[in-house]
Amino acid sequence: MYRSQHLALKYFTAAMVLFGIMVVAGLLGALYYVQDGLLLNKLDFSVVKTLHIDTMIIWLLMGFIGAVYWFMPVEFQRETEGIRLAEIVFWIFCAAVGVVAAVFIFVQYGPANEASLWLINQGRKYVEAPRWAAIGITAVVLVFIYNVVGTAAKARKITGTMGILMVDLIPLFGLYLIAFPAITNMSVDQYWWWWLVHLWVEATWEILIGCIMALALMQLLGTARRIVETWLYIEVALVLGTGILGLGHHYFWIGTPDYWLGIGGFFSALEPLPLLGMVVHAVYDAGAHRMQTTNKPALFWVMAEAFGNFIGGGVFGFMMTLPQINLFTHGTQWTASHGHFAFWGAYSCGIIAVIYLALQKVRAQERLEGRAWKWSFALLQIGMVGMVGALLVAGIAQAFTERAIGGSTLQAYIQGQSHPWFVQGIGMRVVFGVVFAVGYVALMVDLLTIGKRRGSVSRLSPRMAGDPA
Amino acid sequence: MTAAQSLVTSALLGGFVLFAGGYGLLYCLAKLRNSPGIARAAVLAYVCQGVVTVPLILGPLDLAWKILILGSLIVYFAIPQYTWLFLERLHASREPQP
Repeated sequence: MYRSQHLALKYFTAAMVLFGIMVVAGLLGALYYVQDGLLLNKLDFSVVKTLHIDTMIIWLLMGFIGAVYWFMPVEFQRETEGIRLAEIVFWIFCAAVGVVAAVFIFVQYGPANEASLWLINQGRKYVEAPRWAAIGITAVVLVFIYNVVGTAAKARKITGTMGILMVDLIPLFGLYLIAFPAITNMSVDQYWWWWLVHLWVEATWEILIGCIMALALMQLLGTARRIVETWLYIEVALVLGTGILGLGHHYFWIGTPDYWLGIGGFFSALEPLPLLGMVVHAVYDAGAHRMQTTNKPALFWVMAEAFGNFIGGGVFGFMMTLPQINLFTHGTQWTASHGHFAFWGAYSCGIIAVIYLALQKVRAQERLEGRAWKWSFALLQIGMVGMVGALLVAGIAQAFTERAIGGSTLQAYIQGQSHPWFVQGIGMRVVFGVVFAVGYVALMVDLLTIGKRRGSVSRLSPRMAGDPA
Repeated sequence: MTAAQSLVTSALLGGFVLFAGGYGLLYCLAKLRNSPGIARAAVLAYVCQGVVTVPLILGPLDLAWKILILGSLIVYFAIPQYTWLFLERLHASREPQP
């Protein structure tokens, strides 16, 4: 294996550890809703929520970076340029994440001054990391860009997929710079902050995972490069065409001009269209190969990615994206329901699929099979669908009682929080959260053991396993 | 839009896309298995999407959104068919002949 692929495995390991911390923080966060005063003044809800959200961002980012380090040397037929630097940066990245997490848990907050921004928390949701760590993340991404572009330059070669990926790295890096300025006008701050959050998630990340899935499909199903890349170009055009101005659905109620109601609603309503095309493509590819592959776990996770993206992003998103509906639903558990499902479908499933592909090679298995992956797959999917269903019920109660009937007063908020549907929904969220956590444990057991168990002896020769010459 | 109308409209919007997905999935399965039964189920899913559209058109949404939904209904009908056709042609032209 290339050193780049060894580095990818380290990134995957770190990503899975952070995935676990995210699950624990999520479960704890869910418990605050059913147990008043839980850990009050010791570990407040806001801290746990920050941990839950930030670990999600970081584990997905590490998963993306790991996937690129995995596929890149195969694409360019050479070792990644600057691999030594990349290896050093990985450890710095991990140490920084550990320090930031420790500060979040033990220091939590500080006075409203510059020192707190630099050392404790920048205070903006999703990008709370203190400024020193944010600069570190920027440096990590710069090194990553250097690795990708440098490798292509040294190889004097560029493939369609890697070309798109390289262009995508520019906004991936550039948009993150919006995390830095401290803007005091709330509307202006939110305006730019959504560029970072939305355009990362619904533009640059979508393209990144599209490239990664393209590379994965070539390895998983042996689909011809030209087919995969032609489809990738179309997908990129459609996702960007609908996703960029779909940004407007975050501008409905933050003090921006009302033309955003029309722009945001229109483009958001178009967003499910390319997702349906992706579902058709996934079914076509799987059907064309009669679901026959040497890596069933990866195939199932790829399928889950297509369907989860469509249902979580498309169906759950369309339910609440038109301004007349969104007036009541934004910022409720309904939004949390959509967010959980969309992130899970669009990104998490894809990264898990790539990890299974990598493991097949690492463990030199001609065929990756077993029973444990089916358990983890089922438990994680049931846990997620149960959680988002429960959050949806709670969110409906909130939107109906607190917003639409009560008019968002404090009294209406209390009524919404004590509505039986809300209480039951929040309770069921914990139950399915536990199911999800059990699924996570099963996934970890499977990832650690698949291909190592007795009977898994169909080893590939080093040449077949794709080792560098 | 009243509180009750907002909930019903939201559910209908979710159903609208869900039936579109069901239609797309069943259309693909019918093609893969060459099954007239599944093809009929696909048509049924699309009809359900059309049925869901009626109360949305007659409901409290603004006219612009109603036009958008009606337009989407037509586009959703075409997506699986054209995507499938495109994929078939793409595979036929790119993959080496046996």
